Amino acid sequence: MIPTVALVHVDAVTRRFPLDHNEVIALDHTSLRVERGEFLAIAGPSGSGKSTLLNLIGCIDKPTSGRILIDGVDTGTLSPVQLTDLRRKKIGFVFQTFNLIPVFTAAENVEFPLLIQGLSPAERRTRVTEALESVGLAGRAHQRPDLLSGGERQRVAVARAIVHRPALVLADEPTANLDTRNATQLIELMRGLNQRLGLTFIFSTHDQRLLEHTPRIVRLTDGQVVSDSFAKGDVHEQVSAACIS
Amino acid sequence: MSKFLLLAFRNVFRNRRRTLMTLLMVGGGVAGLLLVGGFFAFMFRGLRESTIRNGLGHIQIFTAEHFQRDEVHVLDTGISDWQHVASSVRTGKHVRGVAPRIEFYGMLSNGVKSSVFMGSAVQPEIERSMGFSPRLASGNDLNSSSNGEVEALVGTGVARSMNVKVGDGLTILSVTADGALNGLDVQIVGLVNTGFKDLDDRYLRITLPSAQRLLQSDRVTNLVVGLDNTDNTDAVAAELAPQLRGLSQPMVEKKWIELAAYYKQVRTLFSGIFLFLGVIVFFMVLMATVNTLLMAMFERTREIGTMLAMGTPRTWIVALFMVEATLTGLFGAVAGVIGGNLLGMLLNVSGLHLPPPPGTDVPMAFRVLHVPALMIGSSLMVVVSLALASILPAIRASRLQIAEALAHV
Ligand SMILES: Nc1ncnc2c1ncn2[C@@H]1O[C@H](COP(=O)(O)OP(=O)(O)O)[C@@H](O)[C@H]1O
Ligand SMILES: [Mg+2]
Repeated sequence: MIPTVALVHVDAVTRRFPLDHNEVIALDHTSLRVERGEFLAIAGPSGSGKSTLLNLIGCIDKPTSGRILIDGVDTGTLSPVQLTDLRRKKIGFVFQTFNLIPVFTAAENVEFPLLIQGLSPAERRTRVTEALESVGLAGRAHQRPDLLSGGERQRVAVARAIVHRPALVLADEPTANLDTRNATQLIELMRGLNQRLGLTFIFSTHDQRLLEHTPRIVRLTDGQVVSDSFAKGDVHEQVSAACIS
Repeated sequence: MSKFLLLAFRNVFRNRRRTLMTLLMVGGGVAGLLLVGGFFAFMFRGLRESTIRNGLGHIQIFTAEHFQRDEVHVLDTGISDWQHVASSVRTGKHVRGVAPRIEFYGMLSNGVKSSVFMGSAVQPEIERSMGFSPRLASGNDLNSSSNGEVEALVGTGVARSMNVKVGDGLTILSVTADGALNGLDVQIVGLVNTGFKDLDDRYLRITLPSAQRLLQSDRVTNLVVGLDNTDNTDAVAAELAPQLRGLSQPMVEKKWIELAAYYKQVRTLFSGIFLFLGVIVFFMVLMATVNTLLMAMFERTREIGTMLAMGTPRTWIVALFMVEATLTGLFGAVAGVIGGNLLGMLLNVSGLHLPPPPGTDVPMAFRVLHVPALMIGSSLMVVVSLALASILPAIRASRLQIAEALAHV
């Protein structure tokens, strides 16, 4: 079998944070491969290193050791400007706290990634409409975020994360500020986009109930992958254990 | 690009209260400068016009020789064919009149006491027609058509030191153009208060024909040109220059500003004061807004983190903050210009007066001129001040660690 290039390759990554005279090991020699089109959940209790892992994959943080490869490119070799370019083109972010720009309307928020890509106004308009339709919010296009409900805000954020057709969408605890119903709906929305558009999603959660329809679940504990399971029908089958140094 | 400006624009009005405070600060600075500057401009104009009206005129014409050498005898370097020059200048546009003058000096005596004087001789009717009249403390101005005694005006200082009053007689002693000593009996018709003690102590004025008789010469020292409006000085001077150079006795002209040493001193002093005020306002705006802008930036940490995570170039973040501050400066400047002019108008119609300045007893009117250059200048200044103030916050914003900024609460 010819080894294909994974979309994301986390290769023996460690991330330590200095803390007073001590240090915290947020990720401990972790490895992970994510292929194109996957829908993957990173599960684990608070403090297990989910955010740290997603930040590293999203190139907004750097590992203390180990490599992160996106599309086969070692991100450690890229300059800050190249990293910015990579994020702008290949990655979409959804945040726990929505992080919409408050002075922009829903449509303008969704437009922002296209604006920094330098797309023409006409192109931007079509894509924004498409993206808002795909999250079911075409009717709320001209509302400012403060007039939208939490669920709606996060759907706008999802539209913003997919509007520029990134290779990868990263969502760090996107449901943590939503009630159960909205949370379930959001995961279903993302799963739908994953299946319909073939977009790759990695999201994190500490809520077990949201993982029912997730085909692959990576469990983290204390900065280490303790399980990586693929769903087969309704049964989660454990395929590989964590890489423990 | 327009979306980017829109973002900056909306961000300016995001925190209404804070923006209002900043606008008040910036606008207040601009309005303050306009009021002070406008008052100074009014003062300058008043001083300028009184300097010109006190006899300086708008343009003075001398022979070229006058500035090349010292006179051996009185009127050595004077204008000989002055009637001809005067009548040709008088036909020019904007010219209200041309007044010939003689400057001379000598001794005054009343038989008991004597004193040195610096005299001027004029044609009083022409001077009056141009609006130049001496500031009389008592008595009347000269009258050339009087038959009988030769009339003279003396300074209040002269009158005091020689113990004479209006109606008294004096003898003038001077050296004539040929170098002989000559005397003339005059009668004091008025006392003059120029506002400058040094001048008042030496001041003497007689009519032109009397002086010519005393000095035994038909020349004059210079011709004083009065215009309809001070603003036309440069234009008229430019037109006259070639005309004067071409005369058989070459002439040069001096504009009032070249002769108004006192005016220039006052203006320099007050311009310095104004500049100092401007610098203070500049730094006050700078310091006050750096703080506000830093605060605003701090509050938006997570938002900046989000924008950076999405791949916004860091230069955009710098630009965004600087544009926001510059816009704030612009709005502040507009508010300040409107507010300052309104306040100025209000003050002007209120007819405020200041206590009399030293050396006079007339209360000074408080008026504020609306000077466009001042509006543009002070507006530019605050805009630049805000743009500078935003550099530090803008750079800090662009240097944020993305992951940390996103975790910011
Ligand atoms: N910037 C940081 N400075 C210090 N410690 C950090 C920092 N970020 C994360 N940590 C620590 O790293 C560990 C993993 O954190 P995190 O990745 O945020 O976990 P999770 O997202 O699963 O809750 C925690 O112990 C946390 O305290
Ligand atoms: Mg987390």
